[in-house]
Amino acid sequence: MLRTLRRAADRRRQAGGDYGWLFNPYTGDELVAIDCETTGLDPRRAELVSIAAVTVRGERVITSESLDLRLQCPTSLDGDSIRIHGLRGVDLDGGESVGDALARLLDFIGNRPLLGWCIDYDVTVINRQLRPRFGFDLPNALIDISHRYARELRRKHPDIDPDRGFESMARMLDVPVMGRHTALGDAVTTALMYLRLQRRALDVG
Amino acid sequence: MVDIDLSQPPFTLLDEPGRERVRSGVDLAYFDTEEIILDAGQPGEFVYVIHKGEVAELDISMPRSQARIGHYTAGDLFGAISILNGSSRYRFQADQESLCYLLPKALFEQLCESYPAFAEFFRQRLSDKARLLTEHRAQGGVTMAGFMLASVSECMRDPLVVSAGTSIAQAVASLNDSQADSLLVGDSQRFGMVTKTDLLNALVVDGLAQDAPALTIAHFELVSVRPEQYLFEALVDMTRHKVSRVVVMEAGKPIGVVELMDVLSYFSSRSYVVSLQVEQATSLDELARASARTPELVQALMAQGVKLRFAMGLLGALNGRIMAKAWRFLVDDPYRDRCCLMVMGSEGRGEQILKTDQDNALILPDDLEWPDVSGRMGEFTDALIRMGYPPCPGNIMVSNPEWRGTLSEWLQRLDRWVERRDGDSLMNLAILLDAHAVSGDSRLLQSLREAMFSRCSGNELLLTYFARAALRFSTPLTLFGTLKKPQHGIDIKKGGIFPIVHGVRTLALERSIQPTSTLERLDALVEDGRLEARFAEDLGESLSLFMELRLRQQLERLHDTEPGKQDSRLVVQQLSSLERDLLREALHMVKDFKQRLSHRFHLEY
Repeated sequence: MLRTLRRAADRRRQAGGDYGWLFNPYTGDELVAIDCETTGLDPRRAELVSIAAVTVRGERVITSESLDLRLQCPTSLDGDSIRIHGLRGVDLDGGESVGDALARLLDFIGNRPLLGWCIDYDVTVINRQLRPRFGFDLPNALIDISHRYARELRRKHPDIDPDRGFESMARMLDVPVMGRHTALGDAVTTALMYLRLQRRALDVG
Repeated sequence: MVDIDLSQPPFTLLDEPGRERVRSGVDLAYFDTEEIILDAGQPGEFVYVIHKGEVAELDISMPRSQARIGHYTAGDLFGAISILNGSSRYRFQADQESLCYLLPKALFEQLCESYPAFAEFFRQRLSDKARLLTEHRAQGGVTMAGFMLASVSECMRDPLVVSAGTSIAQAVASLNDSQADSLLVGDSQRFGMVTKTDLLNALVVDGLAQDAPALTIAHFELVSVRPEQYLFEALVDMTRHKVSRVVVMEAGKPIGVVELMDVLSYFSSRSYVVSLQVEQATSLDELARASARTPELVQALMAQGVKLRFAMGLLGALNGRIMAKAWRFLVDDPYRDRCCLMVMGSEGRGEQILKTDQDNALILPDDLEWPDVSGRMGEFTDALIRMGYPPCPGNIMVSNPEWRGTLSEWLQRLDRWVERRDGDSLMNLAILLDAHAVSGDSRLLQSLREAMFSRCSGNELLLTYFARAALRFSTPLTLFGTLKKPQHGIDIKKGGIFPIVHGVRTLALERSIQPTSTLERLDALVEDGRLEARFAEDLGESLSLFMELRLRQQLERLHDTEPGKQDSRLVVQQLSSLERDLLREALHMVKDFKQRLSHRFHLEY
């Protein structure tokens, strides 16, 4: 509700601006799977380390059209998160500034719907950076693969309590986990899981 | 993308920027089971690299059973040839849900252009495939050529020459003695041929007396050839003159006879010649000579594409004859028919193709006194060593008193082994279970075997211990079901042959099944209802494949003098993709079989 209102307001404000086209309804058949690596798990404090996005067209994951952005080292980068995503301060040397990265991300995703695993978290973190710089939140339609998965599973197998963990979902859907905890790898895996769900992979068992 | 494995050819032929182009240029796609990825006649749009899953290559113009011509699994690449040819000749269909990387045609062509070695790789594969197919078809022709080039001297047998004064009765006697079909009669100047038919006609039709000279019925217009002539020329001569034997003359003297039968059997497999040599051998040395020819026979049989099962049968029979003959030469009359010589291990199962270690044992009847038994048996073992059967490293030979004894001693041993159930006892049981009598009184072995079945087949605890050995060596498959590819090769004997042989042996023990060969046991188990026919057949085929691969490798190494190199390691990388696929499938059968065994005999713990 709040999001809808905010989106309407953003749209009005941006109508004449550079990003007005982002608010047009999308009519194609593509999706963009995104994933971010961040410095923590709290969406109010975590900062972006890398962002990746990959196009899903029809039944294919177009990995040749993908975006993999590394950002400048945020101040809150510490040992705990490095252990997860493996990107050290040094690795982020030469990374892009948050502003440039977000501009490239917006250009890439356009008004296509976004796909992600627990996408609310990623979008919240991005929006926190996006609003002060561009003055709006991501207006795209969102598809959360973990919700989809839980819904499918409840419908087909009401007896199983869905485990929405990334790895266990991948296992249930028989999708190989590619480069876990790299933004692009997770984005590709998410896209594959989406394709499998579309094909009713859960029907068999 | 991140996860594509570019460490295998052809991608190793690219440099790092090239690989980066592949990585950033590929897409991913999922294919459902049975989904047609690329149909015959479709233009190739992508090169597919399988990340996960299995894809079959089908020739749709062939009947269903023969349609499958290729099989691709994780890491394999297909579709490149379709791009080079313009359209796909075959249909690619997902066997399982498969995840593939798609390398677009444009990028592939760019890569081929900038990396000549990369392009060469695919062209080679194309010609490789074509060659494989033609070779497949032409394999039968190889030995035909061998036959065409064989000379008369390779196939002739020694002539049986008798003096001019020989009577018909003497001639018949000497023909029978030497198991020949014809003889030459004459003095130093001229020779006449007398055949069995001639003798028969002389005695019955012409009514000659038995003491009439054989010279009167001999034919002096001989068809002769020189020893260095080609064998097929001899065959042509025989056809032209409507005779069934020609005389080989050198410097005016007969040095041999070539019989039509010999030529034809030489033509077919040479098996007849070797078995003839064995039968005709009159001394250990001659026997050793005949025995030395068996590898050559195996080679000829294999090249002709004789099914391994029949080749094994033939060789098993031949080895048995050689042993029995040696036994007859060395052991004197009262003993040789009363005790029972048996061969064990692979020989007992009739699965020994090339000569491996001798595994043999002796059962004596309870009432036989044989003072010199150990000396005699030592001689026998030595004779077999001379014959080309290397001594057994485990000393399972008749020269060892442990493997020799009266029936009641054997029964005691059996009881001890069944009771102890330790490694050695179980191994001994397994060896004894495969025993096959080659000479002497086979009833002794039969009663021993029955005793064994009555003690073991109901003994679940023993069977469990016995079956466990089948799981001792791991199957050389990776976690994802592809072949392991270590540099030094996989051990096909431990990983493939042994589990099948031992598992089937265990089941045979459980069900008291008499035959000793694994393939026959499988048939018997199917009849018994213990195994499904389909599974047994697959298992038999897998076993044949392993043995064939192993045999081919042994034949290649036959001429290596270093004994250390003659192990059973198989370097997977040297196999063609066709063979690799077969091998992988066969190893999956082994895995399946092991699972069944562990389920049946509770070996999970």
